[in-house]
Amino acid sequence: MSPQAPSTQTSPSTVPPSVFTLPQTAQLEALYTIIRDKDTSRGDFLFYSDRIIRLLVEEGLNHLPVLPKTVETPTGATYEGVGFEGKICGVSILRAGEAMEAGLREVCRSVRIGKILIQRDEETAQPKLFYSKFPQDIASRYVLLLDPMLATGGSAMKAVEVLMDHGVPEERIIFINLIASPEGLRTFCGKYPALRVITGWIDQGLNEKAYIIPGLGDFGERRHVLSIAHFGSYLPFSMVRYCA
Amino acid sequence: MLNSCDDRESVMDDDLLSTQAGTSQTAASPQLRPNNDLSIQPKKNTILVSHGRPPWYSEDGTRISDAFVVAVAGGSASGKTHVARQIVRSLGSIPTVIILSQDSFYRRKSPEEVELAHKNLVDFDHPDAIDMPLFASCLADLKAGKQTNIPVYSFAEHQRLDETKYLYGASVIITEGILALHDPALRQLYDLKVFVQCDSDLMLARRIQRDTKERGRSVDGILDQYLRYVKPAYDNFVRPSASHADIIVPGSNNHVAIDLICTHIRRQLAERSNRFRQKMAIPHQYLSPGDVTPPDVENLDLIVLPQSRQLKGIFTILRSKSSSRQDFIFFMDRLSTLLTEYALQQLPHRPKTVMTLTEVESHGQELDAEYVCGISILRSGGALERGFRRVMNNIPVGSLLVQSDGKTGEPLLFQVMLPVGIRERHTAEKAWVFLLDAQIGTGAAAFMAIRVLLDHGVRQDHIVFITCLVARSGGVSVLRRAFPAVRIVCGEVDDHMREGWLEGFKAEGNPEGDGRMVWVMQPGMGQIGDRYYL
Repeated sequence: MSPQAPSTQTSPSTVPPSVFTLPQTAQLEALYTIIRDKDTSRGDFLFYSDRIIRLLVEEGLNHLPVLPKTVETPTGATYEGVGFEGKICGVSILRAGEAMEAGLREVCRSVRIGKILIQRDEETAQPKLFYSKFPQDIASRYVLLLDPMLATGGSAMKAVEVLMDHGVPEERIIFINLIASPEGLRTFCGKYPALRVITGWIDQGLNEKAYIIPGLGDFGERRHVLSIAHFGSYLPFSMVRYCA
Repeated sequence: MLNSCDDRESVMDDDLLSTQAGTSQTAASPQLRPNNDLSIQPKKNTILVSHGRPPWYSEDGTRISDAFVVAVAGGSASGKTHVARQIVRSLGSIPTVIILSQDSFYRRKSPEEVELAHKNLVDFDHPDAIDMPLFASCLADLKAGKQTNIPVYSFAEHQRLDETKYLYGASVIITEGILALHDPALRQLYDLKVFVQCDSDLMLARRIQRDTKERGRSVDGILDQYLRYVKPAYDNFVRPSASHADIIVPGSNNHVAIDLICTHIRRQLAERSNRFRQKMAIPHQYLSPGDVTPPDVENLDLIVLPQSRQLKGIFTILRSKSSSRQDFIFFMDRLSTLLTEYALQQLPHRPKTVMTLTEVESHGQELDAEYVCGISILRSGGALERGFRRVMNNIPVGSLLVQSDGKTGEPLLFQVMLPVGIRERHTAEKAWVFLLDAQIGTGAAAFMAIRVLLDHGVRQDHIVFITCLVARSGGVSVLRRAFPAVRIVCGEVDDHMREGWLEGFKAEGNPEGDGRMVWVMQPGMGQIGDRYYL
């Protein structure tokens, strides 16, 4: 996937240079159309969002370093290839980011995954860290930070702050995201210019409730069937507990 | 099954075939069962396969000859089926023979007619009982190398069933039936017309014997039917049609006649293949080891995945002979996922507007294709299936088993398992097909698979070939010339092909004498099927 392909949908006048979108093909647009459609079944939502997530992770991994490596093929010839360099880990921003873990593991087998829970502090109205758990050696790893929706960018910036507190340099963080708002991107990339953002689609903007427009609703809710509106014919046991 | 012993025959059970033709989504044709005792079931509409079907097309992609059609007519119980079987048996190693029976083409009946039929009051021996135009069009399709779906007639219900039976890919077709020589349109299609001559009293005797023993009927009933329908039809329609025959064969003790017929068919087939041998699309005729100027990648019109770091890293692991099997499988699945995602961009899309949960309209796109399916070329195409399924989870995936002949290196088609939508011509004409194979080296298997799809009516520009590697000095240029509209999506392009021994045969000159020369890609990935499955 060529990282330089510009977004065609909204084409905000200035996409920060550290933002990389997937090539905006009709096929990708069709995937987004399915997951945006409020009538899409949960099974289809899972399947098609996983397809996008895999493409995003593949694109994100292209920003990791490689070293020349020569191998011998079974036919006895040599091949001038490359070897992957640097250890990686994933960090998902709960809860929606968790939904991207399956896609990540399909591309990066048995990758370590940290978690981070950020919520809005009711008193200050600022994002606040509630919980985090990272691999011990996270400071020496490249971090794929997972959050499907970038609206205002508040929790993403908080998450980066936490990661940097744990010793991860800004330039070793790759933010993987399905849908971003132009406002969120500007704020986020303005604060962390060395961090790379891989996003699938840049939407029109935010509404008065700070939801992405057109967006797709609450990604985590649609993935995890949290809201009553999306209950399917059955409710997994673990979900019942979440709802309680 | 893969053994290409020349005189081994496999019999496709027609019951198996017909039950699968209409129902399941990825309906499979039956396995080719090896059958060593050479006993051929006296079943109607049987496909007999001996050692795989060699190429039936030339280097420019066009079909080079029609199937050879033999008609066997004669009175009821004259020994037609016996003659047909004798012909098949003495032909020996003919690739595929289809025996087509007139009985399949009895017309659809009204409820009243069905009732009469159960009382033995319907004249099944009259030409009007048979749907001759349908018979002729099915035979014409088969002769021209296309698929056909013949009706299935049930004698128990005295009615044509809703299901049909899919037939494809014969080099010899034998049609048999009492009125096989009656219809002028059918006669036009025959290359050899045989009439089996038998005395009336002998036919009646055999008929009584057969019907009392096998169908549990009374002698009175048989005689009644004989006098009312069978005999008049024989005198009025069957016997006169003998005048159209090229050969009249006695109904018994006919070894000499059968021998003559077979000699004739063999000579005809040999003449055809001699005429076309030079033109046949067989790899060693268009590849030579000294090919020093492979065509540029640009001229091959390949759709190559964007060459990213990760892709290079994936190929490094896949190509390395020291990669573990676990790694090979994991990265193969990753690569095939990427390839499929990229190949899907070839499908047409149309605008679609949806409502999001934020109650805002979103203007997007949707796939604009009625029927999409995948077909993997076994064995190594199967290595791409997991990734393909990750991207296309609910479409039918069929398969073609193509193996190369150990001696000549020519590709042989062993098994055709196509999705139902491809078996039917009217849906095949609108379908989009993804063909999966691990690599295009000599291109022989790809060539054959594409030809199978074209035979079924799939449009050339609706075929997207997904493959990991293409050798630009290999058969891909022949493939491109023959089928310029087929899209080929690949991960990397290799430079060379060289002749080598199949893995496991190290000795120069190969003293075991069992191994075979194959074309290998350089640097290549080795035998992808072996590395993925074994």
